[in-house]
Order: sequence, then structure tokens, then C-alpha cells
Amino acid sequence: MKKNIIALVGFLMLAVSFSFAQAKKPTIMVVPSDVWCNQNGYMLSYNNQGTIVKIPDYKRAFQENAEVLQVISQINGMMAERGFPLKNMESAIKTLESNAAEDNMRSSKDSGSGVSESPIDALKKVAKADIIMQLTWTINKTGPKKSINFNLQGLDAYTDKQVATASGTGAPSFAAEVPVLLSEAVLSHMDNFSSSLQTHFDDMFENGREIIIRIQKWDDWDGDLETEFGDDDEELGIVIEDWIADNAVKGRFNTTDMTADMALFEQVRIPLFNEKGRAIDARRFVNDLSKKLKNDPFGIPNKLVMKGLGRATIILGGK
Amino acid sequence: MNKFISKIGVIAVLLVCFSFNANAQRKKANRDTKQWRYDVECEGIAKQGSKLVKVWSYSKNPKFAIEQAMKNAVHGMVFKGYSGGGNGCTSFKPLVTDVGAESEHAVFFADFFKDGGEFRKYVTAAADGNIAPGDRLKVSKKEYKIGVVVNVSTDQLRKALEAKGIIRGLSSGF
Repeated sequence: MKKNIIALVGFLMLAVSFSFAQAKKPTIMVVPSDVWCNQNGYMLSYNNQGTIVKIPDYKRAFQENAEVLQVISQINGMMAERGFPLKNMESAIKTLESNAAEDNMRSSKDSGSGVSESPIDALKKVAKADIIMQLTWTINKTGPKKSINFNLQGLDAYTDKQVATASGTGAPSFAAEVPVLLSEAVLSHMDNFSSSLQTHFDDMFENGREIIIRIQKWDDWDGDLETEFGDDDEELGIVIEDWIADNAVKGRFNTTDMTADMALFEQVRIPLFNEKGRAIDARRFVNDLSKKLKNDPFGIPNKLVMKGLGRATIILGGK
Repeated sequence: MNKFISKIGVIAVLLVCFSFNANAQRKKANRDTKQWRYDVECEGIAKQGSKLVKVWSYSKNPKFAIEQAMKNAVHGMVFKGYSGGGNGCTSFKPLVTDVGAESEHAVFFADFFKDGGEFRKYVTAAADGNIAPGDRLKVSKKEYKIGVVVNVSTDQLRKALEAKGIIRGLSSGF
């Protein structure tokens, strides 16, 4: 009787934890597109071994262009009104700069040692979000008549898929100023953008989060993805593929690439919660595969590397 | 005396007939709404959180078409949406995209769209409810097609539907 009550209470607690569980919320940030930066002269150029490479100079764009601030501010406001406040790129850039300055100055009271930072850590210190809202507009002029061509793309930072969109050309006007036309363009397109973003989220809740899993190996590891394990001499690549098939939502994934040294799995649909009802991302999902490979019969030490909510890499052969 | 009584009787009968007729027309207008027999088109860019639309409703009596336009406008935003057009208009998807939602929440929507129901909170007449001369069309011997411009508070309407659990918000589940 007592056992039954304990089991019932346990079941109820599990049910409550599932019902209140919240999936990991993606961060979204509005970013001016490369095209817009290039057309408006906000680019940095450098010579990369004889090739001139141009990259967008976001900081200068935010400091010098009032129109981009107006549009981003309006988009941020409308998304916040829908209960989904966005990350502000200008603030993210400033925070990164101030953090870098603080880290450079910081030293341990006891030993005088600085803050540890690997080259990879330094490379990762950029303004980032899970979904990028790439913003482009151009002003069309025919004599005194002006109109705005507006394009807002929601891009998944990990799968590179366009998950939401809104684009079109506004009504031409003889009298209206450019900021007014821009404001009208945002007003007329944001509902469509939010609607397509909602469709993406609905799909995510229905079919799981879409992620990318990469498998790589260290140079000095003597095994590879063609190494055979177990009684049936199954190749490691196939073992990993089977694990993903067993654990992905409805077994949905694609094996994009598989060689002796690397494997790439795309469109892997992972559940939003684990069996404990906790929200999971790509790293937590792939962590179970990492553990499986470490244990018998494989005994492969490995390193798990993450990138945001949607990308995880396992490097075989050591930490 | 008898003449007076008979006159009163005739007037009473006429009043009852008019009342029946008005009631029948109102019922027909409501039936038209349920059958989505109206058209919605974008009239321009409204202020943030609203949509300025022209609703074309059908009725034998233009007065009922104007009254029904408010209800049709909200119904249109909830279930129908509209395609883009001139004046910088872009297309608008309906707030409820689940095809089964109307029957699933039939009790709520019946109450929401009843005469004088909650739908009135989310719609206001633009241009003081005046009808432009070109927006009053006689489509058959007995029927008019009336275009009324109204302003629908789509943001407030969407929040109300989210609060009732009929549609999901952008941050639902996160």
C-alpha cells in the first residue's frame, strides 16, 4: 500500500514536472545584411594572401546610420510586444568589448595569473544568436517618387535554413520621408514574419529541434570510423548512425557525409526534453552518445564540443 | 371606435411583421458570417497593432450590412486573413491557422461573435462609419453589397485568443 502511494506521488511529480517544463528558448538578433552594409559603405577590407576580403563593419553602421537604429528598434519593440524580446546587436558588441577589456585587466589576487583563454575561446567571442534576422532594404527612386524594398530573413544559425521571411515593396510616395516609409515597411511586414516564425516553432514542438551533429577524430588516435567493434564486427560509423536513428524524434536525420575520419549528420530532430523532463539542446542530446562511446565495448575517450543550441561535435580519441 | 381598434390592430400587425423581418435579416447576416460570405481587403497601413480593412458584406437591407461589417471584420481577421494589395498592403494570415479550431472552440466563438458580443472590443469604424458612394453596390434585385472601412485591433485580438489558449503565442512553450 505504502509502495503504491510512493509510486503514485512519484508519477504525479513527474507529470507536473513535464507539464511545467519549458523548452530552451532560442535567442534572436536583428543583423544588417552584407548587401546593405556593402551598399551603404559599412565594410572593412583586408588583404588575405593576395585576395581582397570584405567583411561588414557593424560597429560603424550602428554609430553612423540612424535609419538602421530606427528599423532595428521598431522590430525589437514589435517582437517584445509579442512576448519575444530580441537580443540587441549594438549592445552585444559593446558588452563583448567591455568584457574583453575587463578580462585583459583581471588578475588573480593570489598568484597574479590572468584569465585563461584558448584560441578557440577568443574565436567564439562574437555577437551571436540562435536565429539571425537578416535585414536588407533598398530605396527605389523614380524621379521624385520613392519606395522601399524591404527584406527580412530569419536564418537558423546552425542549420543555415531560412526559417522565417517577410519581403516586398511598399507603396510609392512623392511626399513621405525615408524614415516614414521604413516605419511603414516594418509595420506591414512584421506580422508575416512573426507568423512564419510561429510556424517554425510549431514545427519544432511537433517534430523536435533540428540540429547538426559532427563526428571527427584527433590526428593521433589510431582508430577511425571504419574500426570494427562487437561480435558482429560493426563499423563505428554505423554504430553511431544507429544510435542517432534510435534516439532522434521519429528516427529523422540525414547522413550527409561519412568517411573514415569524419561524419556529418544533418536535419537530426531531437526531442525538446529528456526523460527527466528537462529541456535539452544539441550538447545534452549528444552527451549520451559521447558516454556510450566512452564505455565498453568501445572504450573511446572523446571530446564533446558545442555551438549554441543546435550544433554539437564529438572528437574521437581523447579530450 | 371599431375603426380605431382596427387601425391599431393593423399597425400592431405591421410592427410585428417588421420585427420578424428585421430578425430574419439579422439571422441571415449572422448565417452569412458563419458561412464566411463576406470579403475583406486591406485598405492601407494602420497604426501599430491594428489593421485598416474594408469589409464587403451582403444584405437585402444596407443597414444590416453596415452593422454586420464589424462582426465580419473581426471574423475575417480570426479565420480568413486577406491578400495584399495597393497602398503598401501585404498579405495577412488569419490569426487562427488550425482548420479545426473553429469547431473545437465552437462554444467560445458562438459567444464571442453573438450580437453585441466581445468581438466589438476589437473593432472600430473608420471614417465615422460613412459609406463611400462606390461602396454601395446592388448585386441583385434583392441584395446589396456594402463596403465598410473598419479598424481591427489585431494585436489585442491575438492576445485575447492566446489567453484563451486558442492560438499559441511566439513564446509559448519556452
